Amino acid sequence: MLPLLPFHKSILERIHDPATSDFVLLARGLGLRRIVCTLMKIYDSPQTLTLLLNASPEEESAIGEELGVMGCRKPGLRIVGYEMGRKDRQDLYKQGGLISVTSRILVVDMLQSDIPTELITGIIVMHAEKVTPLSLEAFIVRLYREKNKNGFLKAFSDEPEHITSGLSPLRNILKELQLRTVHIYPRFHEEIKQSLERRRADVIEIYPHLTESMKDIHGAIVQCMSTTLAELKRSNTTLDLDDINVENAYFRSFDAIVRKQLDPVWHKVGPKTKQLVSDLATLRRLLMYLLTYDALAFHAYLETIVTSNITGAGGGQRQHQSPWLLTDAANVIFQVAKRRCYTLSRKAPLAPATELDLADDEDAWAALDEVEFGNEGGHSGTTDGSKKKWLPKGMDPVLEELPKWETLAEVLQEIEEEMMRFEGIGLRAVTPGSNTVLIMTSSTRTSNLITEYLESMDTDAPSGQKGRRMMERKLRLYLWWKSKLSDRKQDGKPGFGLPDRVGDRLTDDAADGEVSEALKKKDRERRERQQSRRRVRGGAANAAPSQRRAEKRGADGVVGEKFDSVYGLLAPQQTIVVRAYSDDTDDMMLAEIQPRFIVMFEPNQDFVRRIEVYRSSSPGLGVRVYFMVYRDSSEEHKYLLGLRREKEAFERLIKERGSMLMPILEERRSGSNDAVIKTISSRIAGGRKELNKEPSRVIVDLREFRSSLPSLLHASGLQVIPATLTVGDYILTPDMCVERKSIPDLVSSFNSGRLYTQCELMSVHYKQPILLIEFEEHKSFSLETVSDMKSYVKPTGKYPPKKTANGPNDPDGRSSGPTIQSKLVLLTLSFPRLRIIWSSSPYATTDIFADLKTNNPEPDPSVAVSVGAEDDSEKGAGVNATAEELLRCLPGVTAKNVHFVMGKVGSVRELCELPLERVQEILGVEPGKACYEFMHKGERRR
Amino acid sequence: PVVQPGTGNNIIVNPCQRLNPVLEHIRNVGKEFGDIVPDFQVGRTTGVLFLSLKYHRLHPEYIHTRIERLGHSYNLRILLLMCDVSEHQDPIRELTKVCLINNITIIVAWSPEEAGAYLATYKQFEHRPPDMIKERVEKDHLSLLRTALTSISKVNKTDVETLRTSIGSFADIARASSTQLQALPGFGQVKVRRMKDAFERPFRNSA
Repeated sequence: MLPLLPFHKSILERIHDPATSDFVLLARGLGLRRIVCTLMKIYDSPQTLTLLLNASPEEESAIGEELGVMGCRKPGLRIVGYEMGRKDRQDLYKQGGLISVTSRILVVDMLQSDIPTELITGIIVMHAEKVTPLSLEAFIVRLYREKNKNGFLKAFSDEPEHITSGLSPLRNILKELQLRTVHIYPRFHEEIKQSLERRRADVIEIYPHLTESMKDIHGAIVQCMSTTLAELKRSNTTLDLDDINVENAYFRSFDAIVRKQLDPVWHKVGPKTKQLVSDLATLRRLLMYLLTYDALAFHAYLETIVTSNITGAGGGQRQHQSPWLLTDAANVIFQVAKRRCYTLSRKAPLAPATELDLADDEDAWAALDEVEFGNEGGHSGTTDGSKKKWLPKGMDPVLEELPKWETLAEVLQEIEEEMMRFEGIGLRAVTPGSNTVLIMTSSTRTSNLITEYLESMDTDAPSGQKGRRMMERKLRLYLWWKSKLSDRKQDGKPGFGLPDRVGDRLTDDAADGEVSEALKKKDRERRERQQSRRRVRGGAANAAPSQRRAEKRGADGVVGEKFDSVYGLLAPQQTIVVRAYSDDTDDMMLAEIQPRFIVMFEPNQDFVRRIEVYRSSSPGLGVRVYFMVYRDSSEEHKYLLGLRREKEAFERLIKERGSMLMPILEERRSGSNDAVIKTISSRIAGGRKELNKEPSRVIVDLREFRSSLPSLLHASGLQVIPATLTVGDYILTPDMCVERKSIPDLVSSFNSGRLYTQCELMSVHYKQPILLIEFEEHKSFSLETVSDMKSYVKPTGKYPPKKTANGPNDPDGRSSGPTIQSKLVLLTLSFPRLRIIWSSSPYATTDIFADLKTNNPEPDPSVAVSVGAEDDSEKGAGVNATAEELLRCLPGVTAKNVHFVMGKVGSVRELCELPLERVQEILGVEPGKACYEFMHKGERRR
Repeated sequence: PVVQPGTGNNIIVNPCQRLNPVLEHIRNVGKEFGDIVPDFQVGRTTGVLFLSLKYHRLHPEYIHTRIERLGHSYNLRILLLMCDVSEHQDPIRELTKVCLINNITIIVAWSPEEAGAYLATYKQFEHRPPDMIKERVEKDHLSLLRTALTSISKVNKTDVETLRTSIGSFADIARASSTQLQALPGFGQVKVRRMKDAFERPFRNSA
């Protein structure tokens, strides 16, 4: 554990008091987790009940671990997931201590009084930037404050960029969390500056140039982006799209900006605009991949994009092609990307050559394995011939390498010399820290690639050729994959699949893919040992050690062998750790490895700060950082823009804090208030005598707690009772059952036919089945889309009665198929008793619900739960929603039997493993067969 | 004496709707005027009342008298509501309640074109079986695979293609390890975790 820095201590001093509630906003990378953990340690005791809210699963486990290191072990942080039963949860809450729980579970537990709300000592909310009036956290805080006035609430956030909603974003968050104090700590805060800038890290910035072809592709992609943007602007002239420029398009949040602009009219925009928006995302990804993927993987990815674009959903020609694919710039991308991999010198058709390759398929692989082991054996001469026999005729491999690879090799060389120099002077004895070299990359994929590169690097090769061996291996995999692909296509098998062994190979995991199972296992073992030896915590699989040593450079080929024989006994200076950036877990890693040399393979603002913190908190440690950015690339832009955005966000928030009106926190008396209002309501005809003492209540399905409506219903004074309902989502009165559908839901459940089944069930069990069509606040209150209307008029005009013929069978056929309106018509015709509520927002829904409930008896939860639930044995259990959704999509599985299947089989994977007979047993003969065939179609023969 | 006019292939229009702009947007089906209680009769058992919110604002009592006159006739009773004001929340809430009590289903349209389309569709679909909105089974393998895999959030079409070509069948994908998935182009940690959640975590807790 690194010691706390002065500014950490002063933050803690300010917020540790359990009598106050605060919101802390800290710049990313400055060690928010350390502060949270220290705080939690202070509160840890069996007499208290402290809840951690809104933490992602990774954070939960990392925080638990860090707490363990800090010495609060028994029982430490307990995690409540959906797997835990209700009874267990109740017991856990009674035991007290530190508990991490997801919002959805906590809401339900609070409503059902499974958790003693009045006894909660305090709640710690992570990611407070995500809190909105509609979010579950706001609901939790309201429930919490209703019963518990004394507990504390500490909210944390390290993403100021996200606090942007509305006119006064900061105030909104404070209001929802019912807080009054906010502490803002940007990097330019005085205390932080003082702590960090006493000593500066020794940073060497390296700006490699892009290669010519990369520059071409880079330029072409940017050009495609601007054409796409121009297209977007042209097709939506009414919108104010000033924010939308290529610079912004580098960021992931750009999609959010565009969506926010288009949201009010999203239903109205045609498929073309939607296509353009998703194209932008694709292009942005391409730009990133260009700089991080090797030439072959990039090329292969481009090819996948093309294939997925030429075949439509129904297998036929697609309606709306991405416009950028048809531009000249796109042609440049594809051509140059190909040229980076190989050139075809003669106009030799690829097919015969690959067939040849296929013929001696087994041979080829044997040869490949030989090459692989040959390498390790040291006689790598066999592969060094300039002409490989497996190359198709007329193909000249180019295999361009990324410029950073070579820079990295040079840097490592320099570091080694530096280390030796230190050792020479004898400095080693005095300075702390290990000689482990840490290389940080943006993704696990890149780190795998670099590991592979370093392992197979040929130091004697001329520049730009050092990774030749690796690239050739990749090329070979690529060719093999290609040939298989085209072969299958010729046979007319549509569902060709690649054996997963080859999948491995194709996808560059070559180092692993090549070795046999036994070797793989050994490899894994080795890694595990390596970890336990150096106690690398969290994301352990990322820590891929690779060996390298100056004097023995020539013997690089024997890496694996030597490593295996000595296992983890290498001296630390001989190891390189390659890792991907992650969140605050990186702090732990730095503290444990204590590297003196760090290579930042890609720029990352957070990690720069982590290094600053790391350096400041380990006195006497000399850290040298190599910082690599491609010159004049999107990478550089993105980094600088990111810095600026964060700074602006902080400035805006500080300004807002200065002029903010403190939110007034209204006191809410539970229940009594509303009951009085209800009884004296003037809507009730004067003659009624009996007073309805019962509070008004609504029974809500557990799954509905993902939406914001339950929270709003509660806010409007209704009592919300959570229950697992088989029929409907909301039960308003004993007769009224409501199925809620948002617009996307409505479309998808019409398509899947689920809505029909749901309406069927509701009609059977309730007198007044109601479909609630809920639009979103700030979005257009309209179903109508221009293209929909057109497609409605035309086909029916030509063949009025015959439309059925191609309607259901061919949903992707002409135009966009039947419209949502016509489906609604059909639904009402099928269920004349079904009522429809049209609600423009969740707020409107609460009003309507309240209106419908007046003068009606209250529903009974126990009755509601038992309705239609006879086939569901495990009601009340938590459900894995994603898995259920996936299961529903399989052929043979319908809304009627889905619960039965879930009772019979554990998970989707388990279902896949079952033999045909068992599947048929569960689903019935015909559907079972269909399902089984679907799951196993395109499988490798074994 | 209520005349039940028409042979059944035409929408019967109440003469009081003669000037309604919606009329000219009823396409592809015949129209005829006839003496009926509702505004439109779009099927033997389906009656439609038409209400524009603008009109409702001026004459709030009008619709109540119409509903009263309708009595209990017709099996499917529809109030076709034209939403042509921006302050629609209150009137819609009030009408929802009224319609619920009187067994009327509300359909909201936002333009005369859409309203006309609704009317025409009701007539056309009068005898149509509900196959179009029922669960379907027949579909080709590729699109099934696509719907299934894209139901997992974060997985897009390109990813489905990648999975299909490099791993193979659905069962193989279910079996694929995290490392294997992560090595595929376009697959980050988050996406792989989502996929693992969907495939491998149990449906239910076994508490």
